[in-house]
Amino acid sequence: MQVNVRHKGNITILDIEGKVIGADALALKSIIDQQIEAANNEAEQEEKLNLILNMERVQMMDSSGLGVLVASYTTIRRNDGRVVLLNLGGNIRSLIVMAKLMTIFDCYNTEAEAIGHFL
Amino acid sequence: MGERTEQAITLSLPSSMQHVYLLKAVVTEILNETDFDEDTQEQINIAAIEAGTNAIKNSNREDTGKQITFQLMPTENELIVSTLEESEVFKHKETETAQVIMLSLPSSMQHVYLLDVVVTEILKGTDFSEETQEQINLAAIEGGTNAIKHGNKEDPRKRASIQFILDEDKLTIVIEDEGDGFTRQEVADPLDPANLLKSSGRGLFLMEACMDSVTYEANGTIIKMVKHLVELEAQ
Repeated sequence: MQVNVRHKGNITILDIEGKVIGADALALKSIIDQQIEAANNEAEQEEKLNLILNMERVQMMDSSGLGVLVASYTTIRRNDGRVVLLNLGGNIRSLIVMAKLMTIFDCYNTEAEAIGHFL
Repeated sequence: MGERTEQAITLSLPSSMQHVYLLKAVVTEILNETDFDEDTQEQINIAAIEAGTNAIKNSNREDTGKQITFQLMPTENELIVSTLEESEVFKHKETETAQVIMLSLPSSMQHVYLLDVVVTEILKGTDFSEETQEQINLAAIEGGTNAIKHGNKEDPRKRASIQFILDEDKLTIVIEDEGDGFTRQEVADPLDPANLLKSSGRGLFLMEACMDSVTYEANGTIIKMVKHLVELEAQ
């Protein structure tokens, strides 16, 4: 798994690539936690973390990966931030539907729409 | 051998040249995690394949009834490939013609990707649809993760063993751990609204959703999952 971190204004975008399984799920959690920490430490920034998880290149995700999405959602919400999912592939969408989590996450098909969520 | 063998990644295959690619895939992945340069990785890989081919062709004469086992020991500067014969791997086999591929791992989450490599390669050689292959892959990873994390509590001295038993009409996956076991009925329902936002507890649910049947034996330390080649509803 590889994760590229981008910033667009006050929005953080993580482009995730590969398989989010096993130890890589923990690695993704640690990257998201760093972003949460960085947002909390940014004294001048009034906005809390606005996070887009770009899943376009995620080939596969297991329950550990799903758990990371849920944990990130609850932590970011607790810190008054927001998280949305971008470009869910068929198998990732099925996984989220199966786990009855579709109502929890805001999902978008284009980056412009996802960014629009925060405006 | 004691401590060193404990850390070994074990791959057991029927003695058929068609399975050598699995050895190559696993060795390649293990080498990727080492500090060997690319040329050295290539040399070690070739040596491993030669050793495997020799064992399958010359020692076992491509008799698929004979199992061949490779112990791969990734340490800082060495990778040892040895071959053994073993009858332990046949204990869950129900038919004479079934082929058994076994992967046995020290209990570290770092090794889950190896299970993914093996199950992906095995499924490529089957007639399961792409969607079904994805389901089986997920179920295998959930089972392996469950054994490593919850069964063996990530104790690297305890092993997680994953067997793939290939029959003409079905694939059976048997996962064993060395933990204390659990009772399925006592595991919370992840779809219960009270549990929806929990960050764990979905593994068994996903295994059951992806496979035709999942059974728990020996107090949950053995999980047996079956997927039939012809979908049940189509019969």
